[in-house]
Amino acid sequence: MSTTPIYERRPTGPRYHDFLARHAQVLSIAAFFLLMVVLFSLNTNAFLSQANLLNLLRQSAPLIIVAVAMTFVITTGGIDLSVGSTVALVNALVAIALQAGVPWPLAVLAMLVLGGLVGLLQGWFVAREGIPAFIVTLAGLSILRGVALLLTQGFSIPIASDNWFVQIGRGWFLGLPFPAILAVLVMAAGALALSSTRFGRYVTAIGANAEAARRAGIGVQGVTMAVYVLTGIAAALAGIVIAARLGSGSSNAAVGFELDVIAAVVLGGTSLMGGRGSILGTCLGALTIAVIGNGLILAHISPFFTQIVTGLIILAAIWLNTKVFRGGRRR
Amino acid sequence: MTEGINQAAAAAAATPRVRLEGIRKQFGSIQALRGVDLDLMPGEVLGLVGDNAAGKSTLTKVISGAYVPDEGRILVDGQAAGYTTPAEARAIGIEMVYQDLSLCDTIDVAGNLFLGREPRRSVLGLKLLDRQRMREEARRNLDALDIHVPSLDAYVEQLSGGQRQSIAIARAAAFAPRVLIMDEPTSALAVAEVEAVLRLIRRLAEGGTSIILITHRLQDLFRVCDRIVVMYEGTKVAERRIGETDLEDLVGLIVGGKAEKLKGHA
Ligand SMILES: Nc1ncnc2c1ncn2[C@@H]1O[C@H](COP(=O)(O)OP(=O)(O)O)[C@@H](O)[C@H]1O
Ligand SMILES: [Mg+2]
Repeated sequence: MSTTPIYERRPTGPRYHDFLARHAQVLSIAAFFLLMVVLFSLNTNAFLSQANLLNLLRQSAPLIIVAVAMTFVITTGGIDLSVGSTVALVNALVAIALQAGVPWPLAVLAMLVLGGLVGLLQGWFVAREGIPAFIVTLAGLSILRGVALLLTQGFSIPIASDNWFVQIGRGWFLGLPFPAILAVLVMAAGALALSSTRFGRYVTAIGANAEAARRAGIGVQGVTMAVYVLTGIAAALAGIVIAARLGSGSSNAAVGFELDVIAAVVLGGTSLMGGRGSILGTCLGALTIAVIGNGLILAHISPFFTQIVTGLIILAAIWLNTKVFRGGRRR
Repeated sequence: MTEGINQAAAAAAATPRVRLEGIRKQFGSIQALRGVDLDLMPGEVLGLVGDNAAGKSTLTKVISGAYVPDEGRILVDGQAAGYTTPAEARAIGIEMVYQDLSLCDTIDVAGNLFLGREPRRSVLGLKLLDRQRMREEARRNLDALDIHVPSLDAYVEQLSGGQRQSIAIARAAAFAPRVLIMDEPTSALAVAEVEAVLRLIRRLAEGGTSIILITHRLQDLFRVCDRIVVMYEGTKVAERRIGETDLEDLVGLIVGGKAEKLKGHA
């Protein structure tokens, strides 16, 4: 017995399947973030206190700010290892400038320009000269930290606490710490730019297929240089915020910061291969890292554990993402 | 007065849309193109055939601006065209369907169709992607080509080989090109889809678009082409009006050099 074939379009499954598949990584980091929050709330009394949460926001702002910019770099298929050293350089330089009597708005502006120029130079080597971003920014990591050490001779440089500058790190606005406001603004701008502008679209296109982007008439070199300018400016902003919060500048600031930033981005589901990026995921990734650090301290677990736990969690999250959520993807 | 206009029209008709003069391109030790001349007339459909590695893709990439020739000139409408990037070639109406399709896997169907020229709308002074318009126009373009995709929001990586190829074709054809180059556009297509592409080629040519079609399906060439050019080892070895040739003749021309070489070795 044979059945007559029926020519009809195959039915499509429910749309939410596509939604779940596409946003699996953001959803998983969101779930993981909530799990951490619940765990620490149950185990420590202080975690959910308003003071601690606001403090958490204040402290994680530099990480969020730089991670948002790093999301653009990684989405093009690049990497910027120099952000921690840029933070240190700006951190030290801004303190030196303020000590020399430079008005704070001018000092801040100069630092942002400096960060942008550092990014431009590295972006030029990557985009125009075709040197792998890993190499260029590894060199940057070494050089920039070295310059900071040379300038400060390794000493920490105090910033007068009556200078309005310190409010950038310590002040409040609308009941929120000022750094947190900055982070939210950067995050909103980043999310809009990545998902809804030509620039963001081209960043994704370059990471997915750079030659296809070039053939489609996209200025690949310009966009690639621009993303490194973004991380440079973001790192400078982070350096300013940290200097203002601590009231001093030091060439030893932000050691290993680049790894936290990259971890936050990757935890959030942005692909190291390029072509896929999520600002929301990045922010959840950054907050997760911050919550783990904060919660372990409140739970009176040795702070040395923080690094071990953070590392394990990153490994577990990425492993889950590749094994469980990437089933239907080509890469 | 009218005579002047007629003369101008006649001259325009006689001026090739694209003229290549002595194009050479070398990759390391490989001479991919060894001095190729070619004319492409307005509204003409030109078939480009040849063995694998004959230089077809390289030649068409030179026309589309993806490669800059080492030597030789490109004239568009009789003027020396100075373009050196695909963006500049695209700006004067030269579009190409690349053999590797050149799609971005992690961008949706509509986004790929508009890659590099996304429509935007102003929101509070910010220029944001106009997704709605992209989607509507993408739908229209794909319908015109009989292309069915599960969803315009689907990432291109989720599509079949034939669907991907169709999208690459729709992208090149959608913006009223003056020159359309298609490098093996039908290799992954099913019967009905091939028919749709051939119809599209005829329709565009009637509208004045000049088309270069590279394909190994020789029978298709006889259905849409006005003229056929045969390449061999980086040179143009033959040129035939469609009425002056047949399948057997073409096959002979394509493998001809090889046959002679084999004879020579024997
Ligand atoms: N980007 C490239 N780098 C090196 N060699 C290339 C490149 N592109 C093409 N070639 C070489 O040029 C020759 C012609 O290739 P191609 O134009 O792709 O041939 P066809 O499209 O006719 O099959 C081949 O020998 C190929 O290996
Ligand atoms: Mg080819």
